[in-house]
Order: sequence, then C-alpha cells, then structure tokens
Amino acid sequence: MTKYIGKSIKRVEDKRFITGQGRYTDDIKINGMTHGYFVRSPYAHAKVKSVNIDAASKMPGVIKIFVGSDIPETIAGVPCGWQVDFKNGDTMKEPPHPLLVRNKVRHVGDGVAFVIAETRAQAKDAAENVDVDYEILDAVTCPKKATEAGAAQVHADAPGNLCFDWELGSPKDEVAAALASAAHVCELDFSNQRVVPNAIEPRSAIGHYDSAYDKYTLYTSTQNPHLIRLLMCAFVLGIPEHKVRVVGPDVGGGFGSKIFHYAEEALVTWSSKEINRPIKWTAERSESFLTDAHGRDHVSNAKMGFDADGKIVALQAYTYANLGAYLSTFAPAVPTYLHGTLMQGLYTTPKVNVDVKAAFTHTCAVDAYRGAGRPEATYLLERLLDLAALEMNVDPAELRFKNFIPPFDGVEQEGYQTQVALQYDSGNYAPVLERALEMVGYDKFREEQAAQSNGKLLGIGFSTYIEACGIAPSAVVGALGARAGLFEVAQVRVQPTGKVSVFTGSHSHGQGHETTFAQIVADKMGIPIDDVEIIHGDSDSVAFGMGTYGSRSLAVGGSAIVNSIDKVLEKGAKIAAHLLEASADDLEYAEGKWTVKGTDKSVAFGDVSLTAYVPHNYPEGMEPGLDFNAFYDPANFTYPFGAHVAIVEIDKETGEVKLKRFIAVDDVGNVINPMIVDGQIHGGLAQGIGQALHEGTVYDDTGQLINGSYMDYCMPRADDFPSFEIDRTVTPCPHNPLGVKGAGEAGTIGSTPAVVNAVIDALWKGGFKVKDVPMPMTPERVWTAMNN
Amino acid sequence: MIVEGTHEFNVSATELWTILMDPEVLAKITPGVSKLELLGEDLYKTVSEIKIGPVKGAFKGKLEVIDKNEPSSFTIQMEQLSKIGNAHAKVEMNILSLDENRSSLEFAGKANLSGLIARTGQRVLSGVANVIIKEVFSSLEAHIIENKIA
Repeated sequence: MTKYIGKSIKRVEDKRFITGQGRYTDDIKINGMTHGYFVRSPYAHAKVKSVNIDAASKMPGVIKIFVGSDIPETIAGVPCGWQVDFKNGDTMKEPPHPLLVRNKVRHVGDGVAFVIAETRAQAKDAAENVDVDYEILDAVTCPKKATEAGAAQVHADAPGNLCFDWELGSPKDEVAAALASAAHVCELDFSNQRVVPNAIEPRSAIGHYDSAYDKYTLYTSTQNPHLIRLLMCAFVLGIPEHKVRVVGPDVGGGFGSKIFHYAEEALVTWSSKEINRPIKWTAERSESFLTDAHGRDHVSNAKMGFDADGKIVALQAYTYANLGAYLSTFAPAVPTYLHGTLMQGLYTTPKVNVDVKAAFTHTCAVDAYRGAGRPEATYLLERLLDLAALEMNVDPAELRFKNFIPPFDGVEQEGYQTQVALQYDSGNYAPVLERALEMVGYDKFREEQAAQSNGKLLGIGFSTYIEACGIAPSAVVGALGARAGLFEVAQVRVQPTGKVSVFTGSHSHGQGHETTFAQIVADKMGIPIDDVEIIHGDSDSVAFGMGTYGSRSLAVGGSAIVNSIDKVLEKGAKIAAHLLEASADDLEYAEGKWTVKGTDKSVAFGDVSLTAYVPHNYPEGMEPGLDFNAFYDPANFTYPFGAHVAIVEIDKETGEVKLKRFIAVDDVGNVINPMIVDGQIHGGLAQGIGQALHEGTVYDDTGQLINGSYMDYCMPRADDFPSFEIDRTVTPCPHNPLGVKGAGEAGTIGSTPAVVNAVIDALWKGGFKVKDVPMPMTPERVWTAMNN
Repeated sequence: MIVEGTHEFNVSATELWTILMDPEVLAKITPGVSKLELLGEDLYKTVSEIKIGPVKGAFKGKLEVIDKNEPSSFTIQMEQLSKIGNAHAKVEMNILSLDENRSSLEFAGKANLSGLIARTGQRVLSGVANVIIKEVFSSLEAHIIENKIA
C-alpha cells in the first residue's frame, strides 16, 4: 500500500522557492516597522572605556540607541542548553553571555550597541557614528594555546580558559596497557579546522510587541521556533510563554547555525516593547561571518593500536575543542556526547578512551554544524585507519573488513553496546563497503594507480562512518546533560471534508518536509497527496516542537505524525463501524475506506470525517471531531552508516588536488523520498569535501577574522566536484514506526576523511610519506608537503 | 600584516634624518594624507583617504615619532581609525650611513588591522602596503632631488 512512500515525488515547496515566492523573515513587512543595526566590536578583546551615542542619536531617522547599560539587570544573558561536567564532577564554567556587552568585548563582532531607525540605511549611518573608546587587550584564538599558562583570559570566572575537562570510555591505564602491547601503534596530530556555516539566507529577526493584546511576536530565521520561545521567555526576558508567538517562516538553510538562540532575537523582542514599534534586523554577510555560530575547530592527538593480525586493540583520543568566546545553545554537547560517543566507529575496538578539554577563546562561538561532533569523530577514526594501513602496508579496505562489528538487526540480535556509552540500533556494515568497492572497480583502480606515470599522483581514500541521529530519547539526553527533552510533536487534523492538515514541530529549512511528510500521511491514510498540507514553524499553530537538527525530523517528527495518524484511524474505524453497523474489529482500512472484511460493504474516509463533524448518526458517548496529536519520544538514537570512497589526482608540479570520483554508499534505513535523500547526500558531500579541500576560517593572532567575505573564504563550487556516484543499502531502524534513520548529515560526516585519506594515499604511493596535510588541502599546502 | 624593506637615498644620514623629521615632508610624501597637524612634540593628527581595490575609506588618526635616536633610528607609531576598520601600526626605522652622500633606510614593523579591512582582502594587503611604501620612497626621492636642485 505504498503509492507515495519510496517514490521520488517532486518537492511541493519548490514551486514557491524557484519562482521567488518563498517568504523569508526579511520579506515580512509590518506597519510602522523600524530597522535595527548593531555596532559590533572591531577587536577580539578590549575594554569598553566609553560608548558615546550623542552624535549618532541626533542623526536623521534615529529612534533609539541601546547600549549594554540600558539592558535591565533583570534580563539575563543568552542561556546554554546543555551542561557537561568536569571529570571530577565539577559543573562546567558558564560565564554570562549578555545581549549587549557592558564593559568588555570578547570577540570581533561582539554587540556593543543597537541602533534603531526609520530605515535600515539610517540605522547603519548612525551606527557608524557611535563612538566607542576601546582599550585593546591581548587575544587568544587556538583552543590548545588558550589552556596554556600565560594565555590571555576570556572570562575571569573560567581559569585557564577551561570550560570543562571531560572523558568517556575505558579507563586510560587499560587503554595505555593495550597500546603498549600492540604490534603497531598509529599516532596522528591534526586539526579539524573551523568552518563558517554560510547559510544562503543570513540570520534575520523581527520583534513585534502588540500593546492591544500585550503580546509579542518574533519572526526569526530559525530551525526551531518553540525552543527559541522557551529559551527566550523563560531564561532571558522573563516574559510568560503564552504571551509570545515565535514564527520561523521559510528559512534559507541553517546547517546547525540556526538551531541556537541568539542575542539578536531577544534584543529585537525586548526593544519592540521599549519603543512600541516593530523592529527588523537582518545580518549583512559580513555579520554572518562574524556572528553565526561556527563549526568544528578541534586540535587533536590520537593513537590507535593494532595486533599482529591487524585487529584494533585500543584507541586513545585527546582533543582540545574551541567553544569561542561564549557558550552557544548546544556547544558543550558537540565535542562530548556527539563526538566522544562515536569513537567506537564501526569497529570492535575493545578499549576506547576519549579525553576532551573545551576552551574559551576570543573568537565567534562554536556550536553544532552539519554533523556536529560526529564528523570530527569520524575524521579522527578514519584518518587513523587509512594511515595505519599505509604504515603497516596492508589494504585499507581489508583492514576495515577485519574490524567491522558483525551484523545485528536490533530485533533478533540485540543492539551493539559500545565502549563509549551508546548502544547501536541495527547494523550490517560490510555490505556498504563491498558495494562501494564494486562501484569503484577496486582491483582495476589499484592497477591503474601502480601504472600511473604522467606526472600526476593518483590516490584513493576510504571512510566507513557511523553517526547517531534522530536526536533523541529525552531521558537519555537528560542524563547526558541536555536541559530540554528531545521528543517531537505532531497533530493530524482531519477537516470535515476529509482533507488533512498536519502540524509538525519539526522545521523545514530546505529539507523538503512538506513533501516527505505528506507522502507518509497520504500513504498511511490512503488519500491523495494533494489532500494533505504540512504546517510548521509557527508556535501559535503548532502545539509544541523541538525543531530540526541532528537528522531527527523524519525519525522523530515523522514518527510523531505516524502515531497521530494511528489515533485518527482508530477513532475513524469506530465511526465507520457505527455507520456500517459492524464491529470495528471486523473492518479493514485500505485505499481510503473501511471495509467489512470479506464483504463489499464499505465507507469512505471522507464520509467518516464528515460524520465526525456532523455527528447526527454517531456512536453514543463518542466526542465529535477527528483531530489528534502525539508526542513521540524515541527509544534510542538511530545509527545511519556508510562507506565513502574518494579518488584524487595530485598535480606534482603545483600541488593541486583534483577530485576525480566520489563514491558514497549510505545506509539511512528506509527511504521515503529517494530524490530528497539523494539531494541530502549530495549537499552533505559538497560540504564535507569543501572542508577537506577549500574551506577554513582564519583568525590571526590578534583575533581578527581575516577571511570574512566570499572574496577571502573559499566556498566549494559546482565545478570542484565530479558527478557523485551514490547508492544505498537498507537496514531499517528497529525502534521507530517508519524504520528510518536520517540522512541530513551523512554526506558531511563520511566525506571529509575520505578525501584527505585519498590525498595522503596519493602522496605515499608517490614516495612522499607524510602523515598529515592540514585541511583545507590547498595546492600550496600539498606542494609544501611534497617539497619539504 | 608585516611591513619590511630597505631603500637607499642619495643624501647623507644626517640629511635624511632632518628630512624625515619635517612634518611637511611627511605629509607630502605619505599617500592619501591630506593633513598632518602637530598636536604636541612628535605627535601628529592625520587625516587621510585610502583606496585599495574594493576598500575605500577616510582615516583619522594619530602618528607619533618615538624612540628617537638621532640620526640613526626612530619608531613610528600610528593609529588610524575609519568606518571600514582601524589600523594600529608600529614601524622601526633605521638609518644607515653608506658614505657621506648616501644612506639607506631600513624599516620593519607590523600593522594590526581590524574591522572590515581586516576580514576583506587582508591577504593581499601586505602586497598593497609594500606598493604604498614604494610610493612613499619615490616621493621622498623626488622631494630630495627637487630640494637639491633648488
């Protein structure tokens, strides 16, 4: 009965997007609306000696200028939504994150004043005339250097710039003993560089206080309107939640950076009551570079030990994670419970220890960015595996087959318990790599590689990854420090005429939920897909929601929809039974009608829905209406996995790396819309490969972001990529009703190490036995590696 | 941003020192500087207009001559503020006497940029700075020749 599920239905939302009719926050205009512009610190670390707004206040169109001391003490700073404790049990350091600074700036872009004027240009002109007197102080930007003695201090109450010092897994001495007795230990020092999220739509927010109803509306470019409302009302502004509506309209990409509650959202909301007019703020691209929470930025050392047969015996990982100047909403979770917990990988490694020191620096905050912790974990593991294969002169694919966890379906066989807290749901790992090797034509490739003699170096790199998605069981994340539940909410409202409105707490910002979710509803209810509408992004119409991140929309949000549908159909069956004068147990539901089994007596869905709203002939004692919601809290994370293979060619003269082929075989569980999943994989690959070869955020040692524009920051372009060769295996998730695992982050997680491994392979095979070339692997860096 | 280099002049070290200490000369030879106003001993207020590729701005700031060691060395400390960003620079100048009619000027220093000029095109700015410095020295040479003729 799948007319829609499994089919590549074209995305219904695309019509408005490609005809320019998408409605983004900046498109919204409200009568009497004013415009805000931020005065931001040009320095990474400085005392604010004075802020003089006299001249700026007198400029044309200026309505109000707020500085840090104008914000009442009762308004708290931006909160952090996840608590990670020190090894010794001490609570993490959580310095305040004010809406506007009062006496010290801690990164370039820190907000010093907020100028409100009749037009955006007037606000900007006035902002340029706000006179701030700074006393410049030394800055620190590297997470490792930040923890060293003598480093500039970001916060007085975080000594040594340490937010927390955390570990997970087997005892360190057991890992050390296993490494000491290993036949081979592969050790690697490396960085996972910082990247800027670069959503195509910059962040934007409109605060609108309506005095007639004493109610605020915040329109914001966000991935989770309800979470923003909860954090802003309860922890920042102290406004009752029912007096605030948060709308996340069409959102042009987020990649994690729009999960978080930002100071700008609270400031436009609060200010709109102060001036009693709506206020719009939209980031300029330069502002996005400076203030959208960045991703990655780890400095690591790792050792992986192997026995004489090539079995992994232990892994020890040390990481310094950069958190930036302030704690963003989920920042502490990223290098810990989304990173350390993935260090088992797909392998049976008996001893695993992960040690993470998280540091404050004078840089933009770092938080979840597509993959969030899992790409960093995968990078660490997969780099070690390919490097170890080169060092031991064994085949990297064979080395993986030797170490894979044997298949388990999570039903007949139990889930796999790792050394690092998680229990994998279901997995069958060898087939993804087997299929990838088949697609590569592996034996033939190795022959070509050995025979190559055209001044180019050919290399192949592997990455067999696992990730934890569908974030996730509230009780589990609560135990790990989350200060929120992570369930999802859906409401299925059947209209009297049988048309269906679905309200979901998941938020679509490019994922195509309006299509994928409609496919599920149409199939499960046996109605045409055009009869289904998906509504999301408005806290006044959607009961509640936890939003979209961690590849959770389908696994968690979709499951909530399925559970609501089950309730609708259960009640519908009772109404149908009444109309058919039969027992509900004797009915079966298919193709939009209830039929008495073994007869041709049936009643259509539309007749039942009309009866529910016009209950003249109706079961005694039953409530009218056909409208159900469900809160779905999953039993576990989901664990997609896959095998990515990159083939590169290096020009020996210039060091330029050309990506010749990229093969990705992913297992994301059941697939609802293959076209959309392919699109997610493609986009993810572009981002992951972009990190390997092109992207990298550069702060100089004074804390200036020196590549904060598209002239300076290298985004990958379409012509940097070959046509991706992708395929799938399907290992259903055993614990959610759709059997889905999530596909949003897979491409990013798997691809980066595959590309880097391919470059290292090419270099080794060309006689350059280098262990690492730092990302992004620019021609200059690769050339230097060959010529040192 | 690092700036460093050497330039030779056909004047003695003492003459070069005198020329370099003359604020009018400094104002004349520094590209973009429209005003160099004396604020105090060896301390000047500067107003300049600079255009580098897509970046254009009017800078206001201070220029101070410190660590004077006549006639062999001095340091220029500069603070330039603008709507598109700020520059704080410190450049050490060493005058070496080559013979009685020739001397060379060695300079080495660092400019810290902030704001828009720091994050847009900074990687090409060192090159630009060297071009500007060459212009300074060409102007200085021209000034010397002009004055010698006069």
